Amino acid sequence: MPLLEINDLNVRYGEIVALRGVSFNVEEGQVVTLLGANGAGKSTTLRAISGLAKPASGDILFDGKSIAGLGPEAIVRMGISHVPEGRRVFPGLTVKENIMLGGSNRKASKAELSGEADAMFDLFPDIRKFSGALGWTLSGGQLQMVAVARGLMAKPRLLLLDEPSLGLAPVIVQAVFRIITEIRLSTTVLLVEQNARMGLSVADQGYVLETGRIVLGGKPEDLWANEAIAAAYLGGHGKPAAGLAAH
Amino acid sequence: MDLVLQLLFTGIGIGAVYALVALGFVLIFRATNVVNFAQGEFSMVAAYLMVVCAVDLELPYWLSFIIALAGMAVIGAIFNLGVYYPLRHRTYLPVIIATIGASILMANGVLALYGPQPQVLPGWFETPGIQLGPVYLDSQYLLIIVVTIALVIFNYWFFEHTMIGKKLQATSQDKEMASLLGISVSTMIMVTFIYSAVLGGLAGLLVAPILFVSIQMGSTIALKAFAATIIGGFGDVTGAIIGGLALGIIETFGAAYISVPYKDGFAFLVLVLFLVFRPQGIFGERVAEKA
Repeated sequence: MPLLEINDLNVRYGEIVALRGVSFNVEEGQVVTLLGANGAGKSTTLRAISGLAKPASGDILFDGKSIAGLGPEAIVRMGISHVPEGRRVFPGLTVKENIMLGGSNRKASKAELSGEADAMFDLFPDIRKFSGALGWTLSGGQLQMVAVARGLMAKPRLLLLDEPSLGLAPVIVQAVFRIITEIRLSTTVLLVEQNARMGLSVADQGYVLETGRIVLGGKPEDLWANEAIAAAYLGGHGKPAAGLAAH
Repeated sequence: MDLVLQLLFTGIGIGAVYALVALGFVLIFRATNVVNFAQGEFSMVAAYLMVVCAVDLELPYWLSFIIALAGMAVIGAIFNLGVYYPLRHRTYLPVIIATIGASILMANGVLALYGPQPQVLPGWFETPGIQLGPVYLDSQYLLIIVVTIALVIFNYWFFEHTMIGKKLQATSQDKEMASLLGISVSTMIMVTFIYSAVLGGLAGLLVAPILFVSIQMGSTIALKAFAATIIGGFGDVTGAIIGGLALGIIETFGAAYISVPYKDGFAFLVLVLFLVFRPQGIFGERVAEKA
């Protein structure tokens, strides 16, 4: 049984149809990457899974149980943690407080959360020295680290990561992806990325979304091999060979 | 000099009451992005609850105090469920109008139940006050100042050193993100309304022996407290306290040195000056927190 099973999911924002009949699975222990252009429905898919967007129809099964239509507070308690687009680190709280609040879905005392947050800095050594700094004082890369650390504090079985590389310098993007390769050792990850090259480099499975539909899915090497897709999404611009070589 | 010290004491005392109500304004504003125009009525209703318990039913003063505050906690919860919660997904305007409606309901409800005659509530202490050097310390003013200091310390501890305080802050900064972390946003807002109603009620109980207990006392206190939040910088807890104290001191000195009948005028003159020259208040709105 897949950890996450999405069946014929439709989501609307008023008159606008954001997702049409999206179906895919995420197996336990995998990293699955959703690719696609702006507005293709990648973020909406994650928002529907975490309960921020209500499905118009279709079903979302987590560990065999339907979670479609549940609120975000209930879903994160079941073990799905969503690190949303834009990091959304609380600007008026410190880095450590932000990370500690990531454990709000569990019954844990303040002292336990504090200890776990300190341990989390081992995975994110770059932000350890900003432990007492307020959220709004951090740079984009540091905010992304805090956001991921906070997401992991939920001890999720499934981590939803939305555009972790957005707006970051290449060297920071690499640092973020190094962390994803460490996370995948213990947690299943559903990743949304515009940077297809990075997104697929850590993936077991990839899906390409186009105007709310899944148009292609498969193993990263199969996606690289599809010339049209490679040209359109994988940064090829007619140079799919370069993409293949990089792999 | 003696007069200055005496006026300073009185000003801080009355300012502390404004600060407590202003704190309620700020906490609700930060949690819901809405100004609660019924905040002053919390003070008025609490004072009437106190009159019913301590004067009419002749219960012990301390017991009446506890009953009145517990009553305010219940009213805060009902207020949240009846006024804010049904409108929480709307824009701020329907919510603000609903709070104005609730304030009219509370004022007229008390009027219908208790009649228009202002009531007298005795102070907590038998002794009227103590002479400390050149300054006469009125016992009720002293109580107000001590309670306010204790509350400011409690407030700081609550918001900065407890997880629920951190969750309340997180909720006020980004509700959607808070819900993604498993923080119950509706519980946090409920806590905010209960806490703010108790704060407003406490201000009413403390100031009632100095003023008369009347239907109008709520709007008078609320207007001053509102001015205090503007002076302090809307959305800032420290600003609300400093603004409240500043307003109390300014109007006390204005009344003593310039004109007693224009006492209320000084508070609003300062408000107008702030709105013209420094609309963001002394502490400014911490833009970063709202980002």
